[in-house]
Amino acid sequence: MKLSDRDKALLDGTEGDAARQAMAALIQLGEAYDAPDMVDIGYAHVHAGMALYKGDVELIEATAGQGAKMAVPVSTNIANADMGNWQDTGAPEALGLLQKRAEAAHRLMGSATSFTCTPYWAGHWPTWNMHIASIESGVTVFANSVLGARSNRDGFFAVYAGMTGRYPRFGLHLDRNRQPTHRVTVTARPSGTADFTALGYVIGTAVGSGVPLIRGLQTRPSLDELDAMGVGMATSGGVAMFILPGVTPPWADDADAPGLPEAEVTEADIAQVFDGFCTGEETGFDLVHLGCPHASFEEMKHYSALLSGRQVSPGVELWVTTSRAVRQLAQDAGLVAPMIKAGARVVSDTCPISCHFACTCSPDPALGVVPPKLKTIVVDSAKQAHYVRDMIRCPTLFTTSELAVETAVTGRFQPRRRRNG
Amino acid sequence: MADATWQARGVVKGQAQGMALVSDTALSFLGDLDIRSGQVVGRSSDLLGACVAGRVLVLPASRGSAGAWRFLYQLKVHDTHPAALILRDLPDPSVTQGAILADVPIVVEPEAAFWTDLRNGDMLHVDGDSGCITRC
Repeated sequence: MKLSDRDKALLDGTEGDAARQAMAALIQLGEAYDAPDMVDIGYAHVHAGMALYKGDVELIEATAGQGAKMAVPVSTNIANADMGNWQDTGAPEALGLLQKRAEAAHRLMGSATSFTCTPYWAGHWPTWNMHIASIESGVTVFANSVLGARSNRDGFFAVYAGMTGRYPRFGLHLDRNRQPTHRVTVTARPSGTADFTALGYVIGTAVGSGVPLIRGLQTRPSLDELDAMGVGMATSGGVAMFILPGVTPPWADDADAPGLPEAEVTEADIAQVFDGFCTGEETGFDLVHLGCPHASFEEMKHYSALLSGRQVSPGVELWVTTSRAVRQLAQDAGLVAPMIKAGARVVSDTCPISCHFACTCSPDPALGVVPPKLKTIVVDSAKQAHYVRDMIRCPTLFTTSELAVETAVTGRFQPRRRRNG
Repeated sequence: MADATWQARGVVKGQAQGMALVSDTALSFLGDLDIRSGQVVGRSSDLLGACVAGRVLVLPASRGSAGAWRFLYQLKVHDTHPAALILRDLPDPSVTQGAILADVPIVVEPEAAFWTDLRNGDMLHVDGDSGCITRC
């Protein structure tokens, strides 16, 4: 693998022990995947340090303790507790305090303490042809497919990329891998973010870890819908990039991929995703969740309008999850107060599947984490539904955002109705 | 059983030794393993009920998940990690990142004779630097 003079200097420890270890690890990764050299990255979205995994906050603290500093703009991924108000979600005090230690470590390294799965809504917006590293698969697919940046599905090594500003050139950093592998025709007429998570979920199931070129959508999806479609694919499959002609740089409106394996997405396929994630009883739910992935300002506006003047049914909790940055914008715009007045909780830094509800984590027993017994969670996202099933292991009811609010207010589940198409 | 040596491709550096635990099904590090015990709990795995701790885990493939790295690292934190991994194909980068963090050597694409000669429970030495697998 060809190394630049600066790569070699980092490897020799001229910028400290943390950067030396980071470069050594990136070289080992690059050699495994036959990377010819390293690229400069412009941004990294990195691991939060998760309080629900033993030793994980300590891993971030150890890196910061070695004197690591971020060489490029860095945002942090979703965490295991709302660091501003963990009591509101019933998280143990020890868990909240441990999670706060990760926040302090990130500040030492110069990272933005975003703690969100949607850092783009909080201002981290990489641009066309910028190489980036991302631990969050939803960020990877949005960056590749909507912004035209270049990202693999990374793990902890996004931290190393942030510290060095470098990443081995393999996978989606190479032009030859940023090409369609499947041709997907959508005959369904999805509308709203819940539908688009389901559409993405169908596509991810069909193409696995391929790169689908998507045809047939009648109108250009909104940014929120593009985001929703991407996370759906990254959840059911290993999709890191989709190509929507006229949207994904640099593909023009008339781009096509004849001759590739074909898939079709019908309204029945989308309805099947909703039906498949309706495993709970229609009056037996105790939590309604909105905001997966973390809500944008536009989604906060929508949720706030839906909840204004309404009242959440007794015995039901309603959570709206977003990043702390978007929450602040929403608060300044007067959008949070009507939600709180309606009986909702606005939660930042985490979400149901990322908080102490998950039973597949491995916290230090001393934290006293006991996942609560939940009956059923109502969701407006196929991603949340998938991981509620796998990580919280309780039934779900999946519907649109509008009907999820009706569900919370009436105390009776309101299923999505089929659309034409 | 006589000593034997097979060549593979070293992917994650390091030396390790352990008893082979051989599977014919793909394994997901997110979901198929109980972190605290190292036991295989995924029903789609033919290793269901077996413990990976200290074993040289021989797999046809790992099933992709962007979170695989964290679970491999968590096995290390709980001292339930496999000694080494031998895979037929190059794994998802997330698995490789977890193995580098956890100091678990990985070799891939072993020569054909390995698959016919190997027996479950063989004591193996894995050299992640040279890619060499030795029965000892």
